[in-house]
Amino acid sequence: MPNGEGPLPTRRSALALAGAAALLPVLVRRAVAQGEAPWWQGVETARALVGDAVPSTEGITIDLPYLSEDGTSIALGVAVDRPMTPESYVESLHVHALKNPAPEVADYFFSPLSGRAEIATRIRINETMPVGVIARVSTGEVIVAEREILIVTIGCLTNAATYATTDIMRTRVRVPDRFLPGVPAEITTLINHPMETGLRTTLAGDVIPKNIVTRFLASINFATVFEARFRSSVAVNPYLRFFIAPPQSGELVLRWEEDSGLAAIERRPIVVG
Amino acid sequence: MSITRRSALGLIAATGAASLAMPNVARGATGRVVVIGGGFGGATAAKYLKLRSPGLAVTLIEPAEMFYTCPFSNLYLGGLWDFAAIGQGYDLLRSDYGVEIVHDRAETVDTAARTLRLGGGAELGYDALVMSPGIDMRWDALAGYGEAAAEKAPHAWKAGPQTQLLRAQLEAMPDGGTFVMVAPDNPFRCPPGPYERASLVANYFKAHKPASKVLILDAKDAFSKQARFTDGWSTLYGDMIEWVSRSNDGKVVRVDADALEVETEFGQRIRADVLNVIPPQRAGLIADRAGLTNESGWVPVNPATFEAVAAPGVFVIGDATIAAPMPKSGFAANAQGKVVAANIVAMLEGREPPAPAWLNTCYSLVGPEYGISVVGVYRLIDGAIAEVPGSGGVSPASGGPEFRAREAANTFGWYHAITNDIWGTVW
Repeated sequence: MPNGEGPLPTRRSALALAGAAALLPVLVRRAVAQGEAPWWQGVETARALVGDAVPSTEGITIDLPYLSEDGTSIALGVAVDRPMTPESYVESLHVHALKNPAPEVADYFFSPLSGRAEIATRIRINETMPVGVIARVSTGEVIVAEREILIVTIGCLTNAATYATTDIMRTRVRVPDRFLPGVPAEITTLINHPMETGLRTTLAGDVIPKNIVTRFLASINFATVFEARFRSSVAVNPYLRFFIAPPQSGELVLRWEEDSGLAAIERRPIVVG
Repeated sequence: MSITRRSALGLIAATGAASLAMPNVARGATGRVVVIGGGFGGATAAKYLKLRSPGLAVTLIEPAEMFYTCPFSNLYLGGLWDFAAIGQGYDLLRSDYGVEIVHDRAETVDTAARTLRLGGGAELGYDALVMSPGIDMRWDALAGYGEAAAEKAPHAWKAGPQTQLLRAQLEAMPDGGTFVMVAPDNPFRCPPGPYERASLVANYFKAHKPASKVLILDAKDAFSKQARFTDGWSTLYGDMIEWVSRSNDGKVVRVDADALEVETEFGQRIRADVLNVIPPQRAGLIADRAGLTNESGWVPVNPATFEAVAAPGVFVIGDATIAAPMPKSGFAANAQGKVVAANIVAMLEGREPPAPAWLNTCYSLVGPEYGISVVGVYRLIDGAIAEVPGSGGVSPASGGPEFRAREAANTFGWYHAITNDIWGTVW
């Protein structure tokens, strides 16, 4: 089994957690009710992101399945309900999987030309846990949100695809044929990549070196409109949907960068009108 | 309010005690148990309730007079079996076990009042309710694919007219055509089912339409028993079956049933000669109406008793439940039906329910003489359902043709045995 030694979901870890899984939603609710410290205070990077702000808790929607039968590639959507104008826009969004070996999953950076602070991706979740999200607004507002996901491996399934891929650095892109001026529309992207965490060993015990796509950039006419930074908990074959709201026609350039320095580039015409 | 097994036990035990206090009542559990759904879970529960406690009044509510099983419907689609062979009736449950069969549809359940209303207008009360409602399609989940579209591009994921429609389309398809199957993301009924279907359609094509293709467009990057299936496909069918994973743009986002065309996430348009769309699913509608589902669309259950978390005293089993790590399979529903019958009888008799154990085997035919399987044994460990370590597993990669033939024979043996166990079908 290719992932048998991996730190990410194995049959053993999923099973070991099945017991906790049934009880967790209740426990989490109880923790909140008893006024325990919010999740972000327990994660160093999250604490730094919140800084001195008193975070608000309204305005972020986290779209995650209630339960996943395979933690290797879980669809995650995050939307921040705030204006996206030069005067006030969501600058960044930060995703944390609180019990993964490293809780930081990915960071997303928006611009007013994003039109909407909304992303969809696929992530690795090692066991039942909360997923925590922080959004930073250009006005200084900080918003936090969290949502629980249950991971229980199904006996009838195999999760052999944790790292399995072919044609590494092959990209796929979907861009709308036409945009209306300033109206946000969705870009869908995928790059073939194993996203090796560096935490896995071969059967012989050798560490498989870390090898991940670290950065994704979208620019229109040389101006960056959207950027993402990936870490090891982004699932194999990084998948990303985001919005752009171009005011006029031009060229969209998409660039993926691997930790080795290797890059892949796609160019697409943007037709507005 | 916190829901505990103890409180549910208390409620039902009280009901049982009240009945026992009445005169002219036989020893053992008494009371009325209503079972909604006559499939693998419900029919099992009904039979085993009467088997364990003949004094119980057990009423099975099932709209269909003949139940066509999803297991082995792929054999019908592949032309190996007649449709009649997968039809199971209720005569033996009625005559040999004394189960009252009502061919009607449960429309609403009032779990607080412990009553349910049937489509025909009748209202029934119960001391314990078993619900085995199976699945319904999420008709709003895949653009262009609703009930009308399913008449042109059948799902055939509930055995019945949809299955017959798909078979007729396969028969009418000219040689050289492409059978396109759209497979859903997890969770869905019968994880290996789409891949067995692809196999047995390829088996039919190989004999009758050898220039044809089977194309699976999948919303997943991996599937049940994948390595065993793909080994079997290359051994038996060469490159007739092509599987496209989600990461290779296999996820279908739009269906045009009139044109028999699908559109993938990255904008490919693929035309089919026969189009089989297996859409995302949810618990059978009645579970939703009874207020038992959560935001996932499935029913969370207390793992120890299979009582719905939202309504103690209502026992939900089968594909509708969140019973992971047990899969959504007919065999699992059968195992859950037996456990629930034992629980209910124990509760009505004022005893502690026995410690549950469940067994599941998913057999799949890659060809008529090429079977593969995955086995799991489950117990309650620390309050949750867990696979017993080292108890099961997938057919070995090293199995040769004889091993695969033996597993194929076991597959047929399993179907004969389980339909005999549940509906009394004699083969």
